[in-house]
Amino acid sequence: MSLEAHEELLNGLVEKGKSHYPNEFGGILVGYYSQDNTYLHITDTILPKTFKASKFSFERSTKGIERKLGIYYKEIPKQFYVGEWHTHPDNSPIPSLTDISALNAIINNQDACLANPVLLIIGYSKRKVDFGFYVWFENKLYRYE
Amino acid sequence: MDKNSHLETVIRTHQITKEKELLNKHIQKKNEVKNALEDEYGSNVYAPFNSGSYEKNTAINTKFDFDLVSPFRRNAFGSGGTLKEMYEAVYDFLFHKYKNVAEVRKQKVSIGLEFYTDSDGDKIKIDVVPGRELNQDQYKDDENLNLFVYYKYGNIDAGSERIKTNVQSQINNIKERANKEKDSIRKIIRLLKVWKNTKGNYPTKSFFLELITIKAFDKGNITGNLWDKLKAVLEYIRDNITNSDFTLKDPGNSSNDLADTLTDSEKDQLANDMKNMLDRIKENDENLKTYFPENPKFKEEDKNRYKTNGSIPMPPPKLNFG
Ligand SMILES: [Zn+2]
Repeated sequence: MSLEAHEELLNGLVEKGKSHYPNEFGGILVGYYSQDNTYLHITDTILPKTFKASKFSFERSTKGIERKLGIYYKEIPKQFYVGEWHTHPDNSPIPSLTDISALNAIINNQDACLANPVLLIIGYSKRKVDFGFYVWFENKLYRYE
Repeated sequence: MDKNSHLETVIRTHQITKEKELLNKHIQKKNEVKNALEDEYGSNVYAPFNSGSYEKNTAINTKFDFDLVSPFRRNAFGSGGTLKEMYEAVYDFLFHKYKNVAEVRKQKVSIGLEFYTDSDGDKIKIDVVPGRELNQDQYKDDENLNLFVYYKYGNIDAGSERIKTNVQSQINNIKERANKEKDSIRKIIRLLKVWKNTKGNYPTKSFFLELITIKAFDKGNITGNLWDKLKAVLEYIRDNITNSDFTLKDPGNSSNDLADTLTDSEKDQLANDMKNMLDRIKENDENLKTYFPENPKFKEEDKNRYKTNGSIPMPPPKLNFG
Protein backbone atom coordinates (compact mmCIF):
# COMPACT_ATOMS: atom_id res chain seq x y z
CA MET A 1 0.00 0.00 0.00
CA SER A 2 1.38 3.32 -0.88
CA LEU A 3 0.23 6.83 -1.27
CA GLU A 4 0.93 9.84 -3.38
CA ALA A 5 0.12 13.49 -2.92
CA HIS A 6 1.42 16.42 -4.89
CA GLU A 7 3.77 18.83 -3.22
CA GLU A 8 1.58 21.67 -4.33
CA LEU A 9 -1.37 20.27 -2.43
CA LEU A 10 0.72 19.58 0.66
CA ASN A 11 2.18 23.10 0.62
CA GLY A 12 -1.34 24.43 0.36
CA LEU A 13 -2.37 22.44 3.43
CA VAL A 14 0.62 23.75 5.40
CA GLU A 15 -0.24 27.30 4.43
CA LYS A 16 -3.89 26.89 5.39
CA GLY A 17 -2.87 25.25 8.64
CA LYS A 18 -0.39 27.93 9.55
CA SER A 19 -2.94 30.68 8.93
CA HIS A 20 -4.83 29.35 11.96
CA TYR A 21 -1.83 29.40 14.29
CA PRO A 22 -1.80 28.85 17.26
CA ASN A 23 -4.88 26.71 16.75
CA GLU A 24 -5.16 23.38 15.03
CA PHE A 25 -6.87 23.22 11.68
CA GLY A 26 -7.75 20.58 9.12
CA GLY A 27 -10.16 19.13 6.62
CA ILE A 28 -10.99 16.03 4.67
CA LEU A 29 -8.85 14.43 2.01
CA VAL A 30 -10.13 13.56 -1.44
CA GLY A 31 -8.54 11.06 -3.78
CA TYR A 32 -8.80 7.76 -5.57
CA TYR A 33 -7.21 4.32 -5.54
CA SER A 34 -5.28 2.80 -8.40
CA GLN A 35 -6.99 0.08 -10.40
CA ASP A 36 -5.34 -2.69 -8.39
CA ASN A 37 -5.99 -0.86 -5.11
CA THR A 38 -2.33 -0.69 -4.15
CA TYR A 39 -1.88 3.08 -4.59
CA LEU A 40 -3.80 5.96 -3.14
CA HIS A 41 -3.61 9.26 -4.95
CA ILE A 42 -4.62 12.14 -2.76
CA THR A 43 -5.83 14.84 -5.09
CA ASP A 44 -7.42 17.55 -3.01
CA THR A 45 -8.82 18.72 0.28
CA ILE A 46 -12.21 20.05 1.24
CA LEU A 47 -12.18 22.45 4.15
CA PRO A 48 -15.05 22.52 6.63
CA LYS A 49 -17.26 25.58 6.63
CA THR A 50 -17.71 25.34 10.37
CA PHE A 51 -15.32 23.99 12.97
CA LYS A 52 -14.12 24.48 16.52
CA ALA A 53 -10.44 24.68 17.25
CA SER A 54 -7.91 25.32 19.97
CA LYS A 55 -4.19 24.72 20.26
CA PHE A 56 -4.84 21.09 21.16
CA SER A 57 -8.11 20.25 19.51
CA PHE A 58 -9.96 20.43 16.26
CA GLU A 59 -13.56 19.52 15.58
CA ARG A 60 -14.81 19.70 12.05
CA SER A 61 -18.33 19.48 10.70
CA THR A 62 -19.35 18.27 7.26
CA LYS A 63 -21.23 21.42 6.38
CA GLY A 64 -20.87 21.96 2.66
CA ILE A 65 -18.61 18.94 2.32
CA GLU A 66 -21.13 16.37 1.10
CA ARG A 67 -22.26 18.52 -1.81
CA LYS A 68 -18.68 19.10 -2.90
CA LEU A 69 -17.91 15.39 -2.67
CA GLY A 70 -20.71 14.76 -5.12
CA ILE A 71 -18.91 16.93 -7.65
CA TYR A 72 -15.59 15.12 -7.18
CA TYR A 73 -17.34 11.82 -7.65
CA LYS A 74 -18.46 12.82 -11.13
CA GLU A 75 -14.91 13.44 -12.26
CA ILE A 76 -12.72 10.95 -14.09
CA PRO A 77 -11.28 9.14 -12.27
CA LYS A 78 -13.99 9.26 -9.63
CA GLN A 79 -12.63 10.94 -6.54
CA PHE A 80 -14.02 10.44 -3.10
CA TYR A 81 -13.46 10.82 0.61
CA VAL A 82 -10.28 8.98 1.59
CA GLY A 83 -9.35 10.43 4.95
CA GLU A 84 -8.66 13.41 7.14
CA TRP A 85 -5.89 15.87 7.85
CA HIS A 86 -5.16 18.29 10.66
CA THR A 87 -2.28 20.22 12.13
CA HIS A 88 -0.33 19.94 15.36
CA PRO A 89 1.04 23.44 15.91
CA ASP A 90 4.41 23.48 17.67
CA ASN A 91 4.26 19.74 17.92
CA SER A 92 5.24 16.49 16.21
CA PRO A 93 2.92 14.67 13.77
CA ILE A 94 2.19 11.84 16.19
CA PRO A 95 -1.48 10.87 16.52
CA SER A 96 -3.13 11.61 19.83
CA LEU A 97 -5.62 9.21 21.40
CA THR A 98 -8.38 11.49 20.12
CA ASP A 99 -6.97 11.11 16.62
CA ILE A 100 -7.03 7.36 16.88
CA SER A 101 -10.59 7.29 18.12
CA ALA A 102 -11.54 9.57 15.23
CA LEU A 103 -10.26 6.89 12.86
CA ASN A 104 -12.24 4.32 14.78
CA ALA A 105 -15.31 6.45 14.33
CA ILE A 106 -14.72 6.41 10.56
CA ILE A 107 -14.31 2.64 10.44
CA ASN A 108 -17.43 2.09 12.48
CA ASN A 109 -19.51 4.58 10.55
CA GLN A 110 -21.64 2.61 8.11
CA ASP A 111 -21.98 5.54 5.73
CA ALA A 112 -18.28 6.17 5.64
CA CYS A 113 -17.74 2.65 4.26
CA LEU A 114 -14.05 3.32 4.26
CA ALA A 115 -11.92 0.41 5.41
CA ASN A 116 -8.57 2.15 5.15
CA PRO A 117 -8.96 5.81 6.03
CA VAL A 118 -5.82 7.88 5.78
CA LEU A 119 -4.80 10.34 8.44
CA LEU A 120 -2.38 13.13 7.65
CA ILE A 121 -0.97 15.08 10.55
CA ILE A 122 1.09 18.15 9.86
CA GLY A 123 3.33 18.95 12.78
CA TYR A 124 4.94 22.34 12.39
CA SER A 125 6.88 25.00 14.16
CA LYS A 126 8.46 28.22 12.94
CA ARG A 127 11.46 26.31 11.71
CA LYS A 128 10.18 23.13 10.25
CA VAL A 129 7.27 21.11 8.94
CA ASP A 130 6.81 17.37 9.47
CA PHE A 131 4.26 15.28 7.66
CA GLY A 132 2.90 12.17 9.30
CA PHE A 133 0.90 9.99 6.93
CA TYR A 134 -1.02 7.15 8.55
CA VAL A 135 -3.41 4.52 7.30
CA TRP A 136 -5.78 2.31 9.21
CA PHE A 137 -5.35 -1.28 8.14
CA GLU A 138 -6.76 -4.38 9.81
CA ASN A 139 -7.32 -2.88 13.23
CA LYS A 140 -4.01 -1.06 13.37
CA LEU A 141 -2.66 2.29 12.49
CA TYR A 142 0.38 2.24 10.21
CA ARG A 143 2.66 5.08 9.36
CA TYR A 144 3.82 5.37 5.78
CA GLU A 145 7.57 5.40 5.50
CA MET B 1 -1.71 -17.95 20.10
CA ASP B 2 -3.65 -14.74 20.61
CA LYS B 3 -7.25 -15.92 20.67
CA ASN B 4 -8.65 -12.42 20.37
CA SER B 5 -6.71 -11.42 17.35
CA HIS B 6 -7.69 -14.67 15.65
CA LEU B 7 -11.36 -14.06 16.40
CA GLU B 8 -11.11 -10.50 15.11
CA THR B 9 -9.55 -11.84 11.93
CA VAL B 10 -12.37 -14.36 11.54
CA ILE B 11 -14.93 -11.59 11.78
CA ARG B 12 -13.02 -9.32 9.46
CA THR B 13 -12.46 -11.93 6.80
CA HIS B 14 -16.11 -12.85 6.82
CA GLN B 15 -17.27 -9.30 6.68
CA ILE B 16 -19.86 -8.59 4.15
CA THR B 17 -18.00 -5.89 2.28
CA LYS B 18 -15.50 -8.44 1.03
CA GLU B 19 -18.13 -9.96 -1.14
CA LYS B 20 -20.03 -6.89 -2.02
CA GLU B 21 -20.37 -8.17 -5.53
CA LEU B 22 -22.07 -11.36 -4.46
CA LEU B 23 -24.27 -9.34 -2.17
CA ASN B 24 -25.27 -7.11 -5.05
CA LYS B 25 -26.25 -10.15 -7.07
CA HIS B 26 -28.46 -11.30 -4.22
CA ILE B 27 -30.07 -7.91 -3.93
CA GLN B 28 -30.70 -7.84 -7.64
CA LYS B 29 -32.26 -11.29 -7.64
CA LYS B 30 -34.29 -10.48 -4.56
CA ASN B 31 -35.67 -7.41 -6.32
CA GLU B 32 -36.50 -9.49 -9.38
CA VAL B 33 -38.46 -11.98 -7.29
CA LYS B 34 -40.12 -9.16 -5.36
CA ASN B 35 -41.26 -7.56 -8.62
CA ALA B 36 -42.51 -10.88 -9.95
CA LEU B 37 -44.61 -11.38 -6.82
CA GLU B 38 -45.99 -7.88 -7.01
CA ASP B 39 -46.82 -8.27 -10.69
CA GLU B 40 -48.56 -11.55 -10.06
CA TYR B 41 -50.50 -10.62 -6.94
CA GLY B 42 -51.03 -6.91 -7.41
CA SER B 43 -53.03 -5.39 -4.59
CA ASN B 44 -53.34 -8.76 -2.88
CA VAL B 45 -49.81 -8.46 -1.55
CA TYR B 46 -48.17 -5.77 0.55
CA ALA B 47 -44.62 -4.83 -0.32
CA PRO B 48 -42.43 -7.92 0.13
CA PHE B 49 -39.36 -7.16 2.27
CA ASN B 50 -36.08 -8.77 3.12
CA SER B 51 -35.74 -10.19 6.61
CA GLY B 52 -32.52 -12.07 6.03
CA SER B 53 -29.42 -11.45 8.02
CA TYR B 54 -28.16 -8.72 5.77
CA GLU B 55 -31.01 -6.56 7.02
CA LYS B 56 -30.21 -7.53 10.55
CA ASN B 57 -26.66 -6.40 10.21
CA THR B 58 -25.03 -9.61 11.33
CA ALA B 59 -24.47 -11.26 7.99
CA ILE B 60 -21.31 -13.16 7.37
CA ASN B 61 -20.16 -13.37 3.85
CA THR B 62 -19.80 -17.04 3.12
CA LYS B 63 -23.55 -17.34 2.95
CA PHE B 64 -26.29 -14.80 2.73
CA ASP B 65 -29.65 -15.40 4.32
CA PHE B 66 -32.04 -13.78 1.96
CA ASP B 67 -35.54 -14.26 3.24
CA LEU B 68 -38.09 -12.40 1.21
CA VAL B 69 -41.20 -12.09 3.34
CA SER B 70 -44.27 -11.74 1.21
CA PRO B 71 -47.21 -10.36 3.22
CA PHE B 72 -50.53 -11.29 1.64
CA ARG B 73 -53.90 -9.79 2.33
CA ARG B 74 -56.33 -11.88 4.33
CA ASN B 75 -58.57 -12.50 1.32
CA ALA B 76 -55.82 -12.88 -1.25
CA PHE B 77 -56.66 -16.54 -1.74
CA GLY B 78 -60.39 -16.22 -1.27
CA SER B 79 -62.22 -15.31 1.90
CA GLY B 80 -62.16 -18.94 3.03
CA GLY B 81 -58.65 -19.61 1.75
CA THR B 82 -56.35 -21.53 4.05
CA LEU B 83 -52.69 -20.87 4.78
CA LYS B 84 -51.90 -24.14 3.05
CA GLU B 85 -53.61 -22.86 -0.08
CA MET B 86 -51.57 -19.67 0.13
CA TYR B 87 -48.37 -21.64 0.49
CA GLU B 88 -49.20 -23.99 -2.39
CA ALA B 89 -50.30 -21.16 -4.67
CA VAL B 90 -47.10 -19.23 -4.13
CA TYR B 91 -45.09 -22.39 -4.64
CA ASP B 92 -46.88 -23.11 -7.92
CA PHE B 93 -46.34 -19.59 -9.12
CA LEU B 94 -42.61 -19.59 -8.26
CA PHE B 95 -42.13 -23.08 -9.63
CA HIS B 96 -43.56 -22.21 -13.02
CA LYS B 97 -41.77 -18.92 -13.15
CA TYR B 98 -38.31 -20.17 -12.15
CA LYS B 99 -38.20 -23.91 -12.85
CA ASN B 100 -35.83 -23.42 -15.80
CA VAL B 101 -33.34 -21.26 -13.98
CA ALA B 102 -33.50 -22.47 -10.41
CA GLU B 103 -34.13 -25.32 -8.07
CA VAL B 104 -37.49 -24.54 -6.46
CA ARG B 105 -38.22 -26.38 -3.26
CA LYS B 106 -40.63 -26.44 -0.37
CA GLN B 107 -38.97 -25.70 2.97
CA LYS B 108 -40.09 -25.32 6.57
CA VAL B 109 -42.02 -22.09 6.22
CA SER B 110 -40.57 -20.81 2.98
CA ILE B 111 -40.08 -21.68 -0.66
CA GLY B 112 -36.43 -21.91 -1.60
CA LEU B 113 -35.17 -20.63 -4.90
CA GLU B 114 -31.67 -21.78 -5.60
CA PHE B 115 -30.56 -20.30 -8.88
CA TYR B 116 -28.22 -22.38 -10.97
CA THR B 117 -24.57 -21.42 -10.73
CA ASP B 118 -23.88 -18.39 -12.87
CA SER B 119 -20.88 -17.71 -15.09
CA ASP B 120 -18.86 -16.45 -12.13
CA GLY B 121 -19.51 -19.68 -10.26
CA ASP B 122 -21.84 -17.97 -7.82
CA LYS B 123 -25.00 -19.52 -6.51
CA ILE B 124 -27.78 -17.19 -5.46
CA LYS B 125 -30.35 -18.42 -2.99
CA ILE B 126 -33.50 -16.58 -2.02
CA ASP B 127 -36.11 -17.92 0.37
CA VAL B 128 -39.61 -16.62 -0.15
CA VAL B 129 -41.68 -16.66 3.04
CA PRO B 130 -45.40 -16.34 2.28
CA GLY B 131 -47.37 -14.87 5.17
CA ARG B 132 -50.92 -13.67 5.57
CA GLU B 133 -52.29 -10.87 7.67
CA LEU B 134 -54.56 -11.97 10.51
CA ASN B 135 -57.57 -9.96 9.43
CA GLN B 136 -58.30 -7.96 6.33
CA ASP B 137 -56.26 -4.71 6.36
CA GLN B 138 -54.80 -5.42 9.79
CA TYR B 139 -51.20 -5.77 8.61
CA LYS B 140 -50.77 -2.02 8.37
CA ASP B 141 -51.49 -1.75 12.10
CA ASP B 142 -49.72 -4.68 13.70
CA GLU B 143 -47.50 -6.14 10.95
CA ASN B 144 -48.34 -9.60 12.19
CA LEU B 145 -48.44 -12.47 9.75
CA ASN B 146 -49.51 -16.08 9.81
CA LEU B 147 -47.06 -18.42 8.19
CA PHE B 148 -47.70 -21.93 7.00
CA VAL B 149 -45.49 -24.68 8.41
CA TYR B 150 -44.81 -26.96 5.49
CA TYR B 151 -42.98 -29.61 7.40
CA LYS B 152 -42.30 -30.39 11.02
CA TYR B 153 -39.31 -28.83 12.62
CA GLY B 154 -38.34 -28.78 16.25
CA ASN B 155 -41.50 -29.31 18.24
CA ILE B 156 -43.66 -27.50 15.69
CA ASP B 157 -45.93 -29.73 13.65
CA ALA B 158 -46.27 -29.79 9.90
CA GLY B 159 -49.46 -28.23 8.63
CA SER B 160 -49.78 -26.08 11.70
CA GLU B 161 -50.89 -22.54 11.20
CA ARG B 162 -50.02 -21.14 14.54
CA ILE B 163 -46.79 -19.32 13.86
CA LYS B 164 -47.38 -15.65 13.92
CA THR B 165 -44.55 -13.19 14.04
CA ASN B 166 -44.07 -9.54 13.62
CA VAL B 167 -41.07 -9.98 11.42
CA GLN B 168 -40.31 -6.28 11.30
CA SER B 169 -39.96 -6.08 15.05
CA GLN B 170 -37.62 -9.05 15.03
CA ILE B 171 -35.46 -7.14 12.67
CA ASN B 172 -35.64 -3.98 14.72
CA ASN B 173 -34.97 -5.76 17.98
CA ILE B 174 -31.74 -7.23 16.74
CA LYS B 175 -30.68 -4.00 15.10
CA GLU B 176 -31.34 -2.03 18.25
CA ARG B 177 -29.63 -4.44 20.56
CA ALA B 178 -26.69 -4.81 18.27
CA ASN B 179 -26.27 -1.05 18.25
CA LYS B 180 -26.68 -0.67 21.97
CA GLU B 181 -24.07 -3.18 23.04
CA LYS B 182 -21.94 -1.67 20.37
CA ASP B 183 -19.98 -4.38 18.70
CA SER B 184 -20.02 -7.24 21.15
CA ILE B 185 -23.35 -8.90 20.41
CA ARG B 186 -22.91 -8.45 16.72
CA LYS B 187 -19.48 -9.98 16.78
CA ILE B 188 -20.58 -12.97 18.82
CA ILE B 189 -23.54 -13.56 16.50
CA ARG B 190 -21.22 -13.40 13.52
CA LEU B 191 -18.88 -15.89 15.11
CA LEU B 192 -21.72 -18.28 15.94
CA LYS B 193 -22.87 -18.11 12.33
CA VAL B 194 -19.35 -18.85 11.15
CA TRP B 195 -19.36 -21.87 13.42
CA LYS B 196 -22.83 -22.95 12.25
CA ASN B 197 -21.65 -22.79 8.64
CA THR B 198 -18.80 -25.16 9.43
CA LYS B 199 -21.45 -27.67 10.49
CA GLY B 200 -23.24 -27.85 7.15
CA ASN B 201 -26.94 -28.30 7.51
CA TYR B 202 -27.30 -27.66 11.23
CA PRO B 203 -30.81 -27.62 12.71
CA THR B 204 -30.30 -24.44 14.72
CA LYS B 205 -31.66 -21.43 12.88
CA SER B 206 -29.64 -18.25 12.63
CA PHE B 207 -32.45 -16.38 14.30
CA PHE B 208 -32.22 -18.78 17.22
CA LEU B 209 -28.50 -18.09 17.62
CA GLU B 210 -29.16 -14.37 17.48
CA LEU B 211 -31.80 -14.50 20.18
CA ILE B 212 -29.88 -16.79 22.47
CA THR B 213 -26.84 -14.54 22.24
CA ILE B 214 -28.97 -11.57 23.21
CA LYS B 215 -30.51 -13.55 26.04
CA ALA B 216 -27.07 -14.60 27.28
CA PHE B 217 -26.07 -10.94 27.40
CA ASP B 218 -29.28 -10.14 29.28
CA LYS B 219 -28.88 -12.91 31.83
CA GLY B 220 -25.21 -13.45 32.30
CA ASN B 221 -22.31 -11.32 33.30
CA ILE B 222 -20.69 -11.07 29.90
CA THR B 223 -17.55 -9.01 30.11
CA GLY B 224 -13.91 -9.07 29.19
CA ASN B 225 -12.32 -9.37 25.79
CA LEU B 226 -13.87 -10.93 22.72
CA TRP B 227 -12.82 -14.45 23.61
CA ASP B 228 -14.10 -14.05 27.20
CA LYS B 229 -17.45 -12.93 25.87
CA LEU B 230 -17.69 -15.65 23.25
CA LYS B 231 -16.76 -18.23 25.88
CA ALA B 232 -19.42 -16.92 28.25
CA VAL B 233 -22.08 -17.17 25.55
CA LEU B 234 -21.01 -20.70 24.62
CA GLU B 235 -21.17 -21.65 28.30
CA TYR B 236 -24.57 -20.06 28.62
CA ILE B 237 -25.89 -22.14 25.73
CA ARG B 238 -24.26 -25.28 27.09
CA ASP B 239 -25.72 -24.80 30.57
CA ASN B 240 -29.21 -23.61 29.71
CA ILE B 241 -30.47 -24.95 26.43
CA THR B 242 -31.49 -28.37 27.75
CA ASN B 243 -33.26 -27.06 30.84
CA SER B 244 -36.90 -28.01 30.54
CA ASP B 245 -38.00 -24.50 31.49
CA PHE B 246 -35.71 -22.78 29.05
CA THR B 247 -37.58 -20.44 26.70
CA LEU B 248 -36.53 -18.11 23.96
CA LYS B 249 -39.25 -15.57 23.42
CA ASP B 250 -39.69 -14.17 19.95
CA PRO B 251 -39.55 -10.38 20.34
CA GLY B 252 -42.05 -10.17 17.50
CA ASN B 253 -44.56 -12.17 19.49
CA SER B 254 -44.03 -13.34 23.02
CA SER B 255 -46.34 -16.31 22.59
CA ASN B 256 -43.84 -17.67 20.09
CA ASP B 257 -41.11 -19.68 21.75
CA LEU B 258 -38.08 -20.19 19.54
CA ALA B 259 -36.93 -22.93 21.88
CA ASP B 260 -39.67 -24.98 20.22
CA THR B 261 -37.85 -24.82 16.91
CA LEU B 262 -35.47 -27.50 18.17
CA THR B 263 -36.41 -30.98 19.28
CA ASP B 264 -35.08 -32.25 22.60
CA SER B 265 -32.41 -34.29 20.90
CA GLU B 266 -31.36 -31.32 18.79
CA LYS B 267 -31.01 -29.32 22.00
CA ASP B 268 -28.88 -32.10 23.48
CA GLN B 269 -26.72 -32.01 20.39
CA LEU B 270 -26.30 -28.25 20.63
CA ALA B 271 -25.37 -28.42 24.32
CA ASN B 272 -22.92 -31.21 23.57
CA ASP B 273 -21.34 -29.33 20.71
CA MET B 274 -20.85 -26.34 22.98
CA LYS B 275 -19.30 -28.53 25.66
CA ASN B 276 -16.95 -30.23 23.22
CA MET B 277 -15.94 -26.98 21.66
CA LEU B 278 -15.15 -25.41 25.02
CA ASP B 279 -13.24 -28.49 26.18
CA ARG B 280 -11.17 -28.73 23.01
CA ILE B 281 -10.27 -25.05 23.07
CA LYS B 282 -9.35 -25.35 26.73
CA GLU B 283 -6.99 -28.21 25.88
CA ASN B 284 -5.38 -26.29 23.08
CA ASP B 285 -5.93 -22.73 21.93
CA GLU B 286 -5.19 -23.71 18.36
CA ASN B 287 -8.43 -25.67 18.23
CA LEU B 288 -10.24 -22.35 18.13
CA LYS B 289 -9.26 -22.20 14.46
CA THR B 290 -11.13 -25.41 13.72
CA TYR B 291 -14.37 -24.07 15.09
CA PHE B 292 -13.96 -20.51 13.87
CA PRO B 293 -11.99 -20.64 10.64
CA GLU B 294 -11.00 -17.62 8.66
CA ASN B 295 -12.91 -17.14 5.46
CA PRO B 296 -11.00 -19.13 2.84
CA LYS B 297 -12.36 -16.82 0.17
CA PHE B 298 -10.47 -13.95 1.75
CA LYS B 299 -7.36 -14.19 -0.36
CA GLU B 300 -3.90 -13.33 0.86
CA GLU B 301 -3.51 -10.87 -1.97
CA ASP B 302 -6.23 -8.78 -0.38
CA LYS B 303 -3.65 -7.85 2.15
CA ASN B 304 -1.77 -4.67 1.42
CA ARG B 305 -4.52 -3.37 -0.75
CA TYR B 306 -6.93 -0.61 -0.04
CA LYS B 307 -10.36 -2.02 0.39
CA THR B 308 -13.32 -0.64 -1.47
CA ASN B 309 -16.83 -1.89 -1.59
CA GLY B 310 -18.38 0.07 -4.38
CA SER B 311 -20.34 2.59 -2.37
CA ILE B 312 -19.39 6.23 -2.15
CA PRO B 313 -17.47 6.88 1.07
CA MET B 314 -18.86 9.73 3.13
CA PRO B 315 -17.16 11.39 6.10
CA PRO B 316 -18.84 11.04 9.49
CA PRO B 317 -20.67 14.28 10.29
CA LYS B 318 -18.63 15.39 13.26
CA LEU B 319 -15.10 14.37 14.08
CA ASN B 320 -12.71 15.41 16.82
CA PHE B 321 -8.97 15.48 16.63
CA GLY B 322 -6.42 16.32 19.27
ZN1 LIG C 1 -4.01 15.27 16.27
